[in-house]
Amino acid sequence: MFAYNFQLALRSIRQRKYLTILMVMAIGIGIGLLITVQTMAYHNQKMPLAHKANDIYFIQADNRELGADPIVRQPFMIYLTHRDATNLMQGQSPATAHTTVWKSDIILNSLSQEVRPFRSATTVTNSSFFSMFDVPFLYGAPWDAQSDIDGAPVIVLTKESNELLFGGENSVGKQLRINEHAVTVVGVLDTWDIKRRFYDESYSTSRHDTAFISDSFAIKNNIMRNERLDCLPENRDKRGFWRTNDIQGLINSECNFVRLWAQIDDESRAEDYETYLVNYVNSQKELGRFPREMNNFVTSLHTMVTLANELRSGNDPLSFIAPLFFIVCLLNAIGILLAKFMRKTSEVSLRRALGANKAMLMNQYLLEIIVIGVMGGIVGCALAYLGLQGMMRVMVYQSDYSVTIDNLRHAFSLDLWMISKAVVISVISTVIVGLYPIWRIVNIAPASQLKSQ
Amino acid sequence: MEIRPILLSMKHNKFLSMVISLQVMLTVTVLTLAVSITNQTLSQWNMPSGLDHDNIVSVRTQFFDPSVNLEQAIINDVNRIKKIPGVLDVTPNKEIPFDAGRPSRVYLDSGEEAQGYNTNFFDMDENGPAVLGLTLIAGRFYQANEVVRGQDNEVNSPSVVMISEDMATELFGEKSALGKTLYLSKDNNPAQIIGVYSNFMNGERLNGRGKSYHSVLRPTVTWAHNANPNYLISVEKGAGPRLFDPIQEALYKIPGRYIYGIERLKRTQKRMYDGRGSQGAILLVVSVVLVLIASFGIAGLVSFLITQRRKQIGIRRALGGTKWSVVRYFIVENSILTLIGLAGGFGLTMTFAYIMAQNIGDSFLQFDVLIGCLCFVWLINICAVWLPARRAAQVSPAIVTRSS
Repeated sequence: MFAYNFQLALRSIRQRKYLTILMVMAIGIGIGLLITVQTMAYHNQKMPLAHKANDIYFIQADNRELGADPIVRQPFMIYLTHRDATNLMQGQSPATAHTTVWKSDIILNSLSQEVRPFRSATTVTNSSFFSMFDVPFLYGAPWDAQSDIDGAPVIVLTKESNELLFGGENSVGKQLRINEHAVTVVGVLDTWDIKRRFYDESYSTSRHDTAFISDSFAIKNNIMRNERLDCLPENRDKRGFWRTNDIQGLINSECNFVRLWAQIDDESRAEDYETYLVNYVNSQKELGRFPREMNNFVTSLHTMVTLANELRSGNDPLSFIAPLFFIVCLLNAIGILLAKFMRKTSEVSLRRALGANKAMLMNQYLLEIIVIGVMGGIVGCALAYLGLQGMMRVMVYQSDYSVTIDNLRHAFSLDLWMISKAVVISVISTVIVGLYPIWRIVNIAPASQLKSQ
Repeated sequence: MEIRPILLSMKHNKFLSMVISLQVMLTVTVLTLAVSITNQTLSQWNMPSGLDHDNIVSVRTQFFDPSVNLEQAIINDVNRIKKIPGVLDVTPNKEIPFDAGRPSRVYLDSGEEAQGYNTNFFDMDENGPAVLGLTLIAGRFYQANEVVRGQDNEVNSPSVVMISEDMATELFGEKSALGKTLYLSKDNNPAQIIGVYSNFMNGERLNGRGKSYHSVLRPTVTWAHNANPNYLISVEKGAGPRLFDPIQEALYKIPGRYIYGIERLKRTQKRMYDGRGSQGAILLVVSVVLVLIASFGIAGLVSFLITQRRKQIGIRRALGGTKWSVVRYFIVENSILTLIGLAGGFGLTMTFAYIMAQNIGDSFLQFDVLIGCLCFVWLINICAVWLPARRAAQVSPAIVTRSS
């Protein structure tokens, strides 16, 4: 019976080929735009480090002056001062590991000056960073814990910067310079599929850091701070000086610029960490710091990314327009469908007169619509693929060619999940809008349309 | 007269009528939103630059080695660049046209309550105006002995400045700006205005506030470690890209330097606009496709309705209805449905605009755009119905007498 119905459905589709093509195109164009926009959002909302997102926590505490505006939501919260981050790392905490992150811009140049110097977006951190965030190494390894203390002149490069400086060979043990300081390469990262750069809260999908250096080295050599410095009002005019010239002054100040990450393997211990943080802030209050009421955040990476996603979604006008556009396309399709079915009234009334029951006709037309929906979904996927390729190129153009297609491709690719989503949306919405025309046609009285002929 | 039969026939074809109205409603909503956003995105887009941006090269550099003598380095750089064949003139600079950073403020009075005027400072030596190719509107250009040179944060601000034409108009209106004094910051000595020059584009930040040409030229050359010198270089016509390599070679003669980039100002100008431009283009393409789909859909529906009513049309024609009256019938019918849709679309647009304004924190809906879109969609609809209706009017009166 199914085969018979299916055959009839296919025949009906073929009967009025142009109307069918029109319908499939209308649905396809709508799905195409919708899936293009949704795929971009989907990649922009992916959970980085998903397998560990509930074990990694971000630590924040409010040390600002009494008069400052209160901060209620985590994404708007400031970071920590350097000394608070250091104290929290050194205390008896429930965390198994800690790492700090702040950003810098350094100029990498080879001692021989054979390679032109280039600017490198750099993360300043400690050796735990690489184990906490499962960073893959191509050559060598992170610097050791001793280097975190004595500020040894070492650097970890990425595949990209190693390519530029050493032509991609194993450069462990080789020397180069950060600005005027000679350093030794201890490790080179492999391609790190990070999805989005979460560890500095930039969530960038296309631009990667190209070097990693230790916090102790950066302090020893006054490496420039490429960070927003949140300072007390009376210190705000010193920010420029502290950013480039005086790192000790910055460390002794109440300026916040250091991100602190903690690894807490057992979820229940996150509460212990909150207590630990409260105790720490109280101990600092006794020293006359942290004048405001307690306002701490111990946020898992998972929660943090979710909050950031919420904040970022809905700002793109296309994400508003795409669903409306799809509805217009569906309305078009339904009009065509109705026109198509109305021409078949006499055929249906004849079949009804010859004994076909409603359920069977219903099955047949439903099948027809599902087939059209699937085709619409497939056309939609093809158009979405083109749309994403176009968007990717617009993105490259927009960045003035400072990001490459290779860096962007992962954020503009259709995967199996989005393809199946496209087909499912297409079929379900086509069936929903098709219900009324089907209901109309199967309710034609038997033989009613045969009179006039 | 004709309204009653039209309403009756709509009642008969309830579903199709609803589909048409809904389609109009959503089309007009999407179109208005898209065009409003595009319109806002593209405001102040691609304004005249006031510069010969094809033939000015901008190079941005930085010294990372603190042992370099910066004062001497700048003198050497300028001399080396000038010697390159094809180079006309060169000046050290900080802010770059099309790419000026955070706006500064200037004041006409000292004191706490003085009103600030947004502007961008362009620091150049005595060759600056020639490099940019500025024309003198009033007064004179500054001379070499008026240029202040020194370590950043240690030098005084200059005693003379020049301002752009638009800046002069904002500050002094019709009156001459020459000889007036200007406070470049609140706690500093004022500078005297010695000349007014032709407008040139400062950058996206002031462009967004409608002050694209507000600038102040300070005869100043300063230096600091880990900061620029940048250079602006005017070159012979069409020589730009050919000179990139020689210029870089000349600059690399001093070790301990990093070059961020070298480009013609044309490229800087592209970068200033292309983010907004491409976003606007995407939205416009979406809008055009939408209008096409919606009008094809409506034309299809109307032609379907007409084929269904061939007999009815034949009767009307046989009873003495003119061709024009048939066409008019369909246009009126369609217009009623369109008007219902437009009214709905108006409401929906306002709702969405409200929601988006809440999200973005900025209102973007323009009423002239809304009215324009409403009229446009109506016009498209009339066109979409016109062709099938004309065909319907060709139905010969005899058709009714034939089949039954």
